Amino acid sequence: MINLEERVVEKKSFFNRLIIIYLFFALIFIFFLERTYSLQISEFSNYEIAAIENKTKEVLVQPVRGIIYDRNGNIIVNNFPSYDLIIKPWKILDLNKFIEEISIVIELNPGEIDFVTENFKRKARYNRELILKKDLTRVEIARFEVRGFNFPNAFIDKRYSRRHNYPHLFSHAIGYVGGINNEKLSSILDDQALDFDETIFSYSNGFLIGKTGIENKYDKILRGLYGKKIYEVDARGKLVKQTDYIQPKNGDSLFTSLDLESHKVAYEKMNNRRGAVVAVEIESGSIVTYLSTPSFSSNDISNGISSKAFNALLKDPNKPFFDRAAQGRYSPASTIKPAIGLFGLEENLIDWNFSINDPGYFILPEDQRVYRGWRKSGHGNVNLNKAIIVSSNTFFFSLAYQSDIDSLINHLSNFGFGKNICLDCFNPDIGLLPTPEWKMNNLNFGWFKGDTVNLGVGQGYLSATPLQFAYYASFIANKGSNKRLTFVDSQTTKTLENLPLKNIQNSDWDKLHSSMIGVINDPQGTAKRLKDLKTYTVAAKSGTVELVSTETKEDYKIIRENEGNRDHAIIIAFGPMPEPKYAVSVIIENGESGGSVAGPVAIAVLNSLIEK
Amino acid sequence: MKKKLDFKNFSIYFDQYLFISITLLSIMGLFFLYSASQEDFNTVMKQSIFVGFGLILMFAVSQLDPDFYKTFSGFFLLTSIILILATIVFGKEINGAKRWLDLGLFSLQTSELIKISLPIFLASYLYNKPLPISPKHTFIMLILIVFIFFLVYRQPDLGTGLVVFMAGIYILFLAGLSWKFIFTSFGLIVLSLPFLWNNFLQPFQRQRILTFLDPSNDPYGSSWNITQSKIAIGSGGMSGKGFQQGSQAHLNFLPEAETDFIFAVIAEEFGFVGVCILLSIFFFILLRCLYLAFNARDRFCRLTIGGLSLVFASTLLINLGMVVGIIPVVGMPMPFISKGGSSLLSFYIAFGIIISMATHKKLMQK
Repeated sequence: MINLEERVVEKKSFFNRLIIIYLFFALIFIFFLERTYSLQISEFSNYEIAAIENKTKEVLVQPVRGIIYDRNGNIIVNNFPSYDLIIKPWKILDLNKFIEEISIVIELNPGEIDFVTENFKRKARYNRELILKKDLTRVEIARFEVRGFNFPNAFIDKRYSRRHNYPHLFSHAIGYVGGINNEKLSSILDDQALDFDETIFSYSNGFLIGKTGIENKYDKILRGLYGKKIYEVDARGKLVKQTDYIQPKNGDSLFTSLDLESHKVAYEKMNNRRGAVVAVEIESGSIVTYLSTPSFSSNDISNGISSKAFNALLKDPNKPFFDRAAQGRYSPASTIKPAIGLFGLEENLIDWNFSINDPGYFILPEDQRVYRGWRKSGHGNVNLNKAIIVSSNTFFFSLAYQSDIDSLINHLSNFGFGKNICLDCFNPDIGLLPTPEWKMNNLNFGWFKGDTVNLGVGQGYLSATPLQFAYYASFIANKGSNKRLTFVDSQTTKTLENLPLKNIQNSDWDKLHSSMIGVINDPQGTAKRLKDLKTYTVAAKSGTVELVSTETKEDYKIIRENEGNRDHAIIIAFGPMPEPKYAVSVIIENGESGGSVAGPVAIAVLNSLIEK
Repeated sequence: MKKKLDFKNFSIYFDQYLFISITLLSIMGLFFLYSASQEDFNTVMKQSIFVGFGLILMFAVSQLDPDFYKTFSGFFLLTSIILILATIVFGKEINGAKRWLDLGLFSLQTSELIKISLPIFLASYLYNKPLPISPKHTFIMLILIVFIFFLVYRQPDLGTGLVVFMAGIYILFLAGLSWKFIFTSFGLIVLSLPFLWNNFLQPFQRQRILTFLDPSNDPYGSSWNITQSKIAIGSGGMSGKGFQQGSQAHLNFLPEAETDFIFAVIAEEFGFVGVCILLSIFFFILLRCLYLAFNARDRFCRLTIGGLSLVFASTLLINLGMVVGIIPVVGMPMPFISKGGSSLLSFYIAFGIIISMATHKKLMQK
């Protein structure tokens, strides 16, 4: 027992100590209150955002790509709907029973059943849809329409595939679409300030991007803008309800300058030979024909092809994937002669009356080396007009011999050689316009006079693509001015580019055109066989690209046993004269004769463009 | 005011301040629980049965004379210990912890009872010991406290164990533990912390503390809870998102929304204003307890009221501190609000005893 005095002391001590603890608790409590205040008031906006981010899920909605038309409004590439049967797993209690019942209406193969069984639980947990069967037939759709009321948790949804209406005609011009890598996808979504996330696809193949050709160059226009559905989700990521929907903006249609009929003709005439056909509308610089053969089905590549068939295409020695029109490098051969002739006139090295004797060869004075023409006996007395018509090598060897190489190269570059002359082509090659520096750097040899002489007939190092040849043809047709080439006029701005000539008169151009008309119309013309294939006048220049240098016709007969050694056939042409509308270039690899092999293709294409 | 109503020779012992504020808290708790349980009517029904029963129990308990508790304090403690031992043997295991004893009607979390019986026993043991408490009595009491702490801690239930331990220490401290002893043992505890860290904490408990100290170091994702809790509280802002409108709770981002983290639900839906209103009720109860302790009739009553109110305050502060992330997650309900019958009933009993201690007066003080 404690006494009264002690009781007072005890009471006082108790009070003090209880107060101490209460004060201590009060401190903690104030600290707590400060924390709550800072969470709820000071940092409110951060946490508000965090809470919204927690519960918000954005699901991307894929837009449908734009349609691609030819210049006459024919649809070249479209979106083709297919119909998939889709189920809502979270509403289906017994999957086996469901499959059993729906199998009566729509037959399912074991692979489809396995796929559904495998993914069912996961999709159900997160309230996600699941594709039960892809690409329903019309019969299946009809059966489901009639009996679908039994299956409220299944529905048919439209999914597109990208379809070319003429799968082989535009494989390189339009190109194809394919899957997209993550990096590219994120950068596309970044442009729209979206994050990569779950997506509701409009295409059965998922994300698409233009891989080649116009599909690639104009991907941004064709693609459209992704939409998004905004859902409220719970902590497990389960969709609770849709709170907002921003519709996707489908891609814009693209009206190209391509001409369907001319492609049909070119494709038929090329008949799967290796080569390319490019035709342009001279005034606008619009590409109307763009064909590289052999070609491939762009539908197969876009929408699935067996790996066996794909490998066969890859290993095909004719290289169907190779875009010869924009990437194939070919020597211009004799087609360069009009440009060389113009150089002679411009530099006052020759005039239209100047003539030389063509004995069938040219001897380089420096080393007595012999440069031969295509005709052993030569062409006798030739002036520029005749030299173009009969394609005299000696005349142009001799003219090139007198030329200053730097001026000549500069002159040729104005015709589009060694330059990119297309504004919206897919990966165009610029060919090769050789210079002495180039030769020293790449071949470790100085420039010989003989190199300049070879340049005079378009042999040697100079090379260009069929696209450049078409530009070149158009440039001559338009008398030294041209617009850069394009597929889509509305999306490009083009200015007229002029050849800076001082001494060439309009009459010179007329004479040149007349010589090139002579190539077809003159009895001595190298392409005289084309004369009756048309009803209007065409100017042309044919060429034969030597792949293996031979001294005699007998030697050539030996080497031509191997098809790969045969000369390439090349022609440039434009018409109708005297006011040409279209220019065309045709290359047929190992076709041997520019005039009689490549020529008919060029004329057929011009016919389809001109004679409507 | 504490009251003693004469009713034909029959006295009713009642403190309307405590009774009204506790009833108010309980009813608010039912509303909070309704939202936190995502409008689960069953949960709320079950909880309201406990609330109703608890209020009656509180009233009944407060009618008994403090001498009754003093006399039977040893018996209560022994019963609590036996129940805990029974839990260790027969208890049902939930989430790796054996804390509950299945009593048929409901599962009793036995450690909740010892939060009450231990301080009462200590008060009854120490009320007549001279000041300062002699080393002998200090030592005996400490052994008892540590023993009981271990019983609870072994379940394992570190949170309740700590509260029980603190309850014992509060009584010792209030009863006049010598300052010399306090400072010496405090020093020793600080020195032995590394040893305790290595030998007494489960890996998950250590991880919780590490995560608490450095939230970026979180290999097991144990800070998920606290992050979501902070988002819930922070996004409530000044006035809250509105009743049943809390997205954190309703979309399951908030863990343990019905129990340990119910405060986060309240803060999310009622904002800082709601938090302040709710806490002022708790604050009022604690101040009332302080007043009652000062006016208690003898040392035993003082110690009991002080000890029990401090257990109540500690539980509340640990819960609040945990939810806002100023202390590690230990698993502690919010008194009168969180779901859970055992905790609820134990606090009704505790306040019943406090009212009893405060309202029974003796005409002649010894």
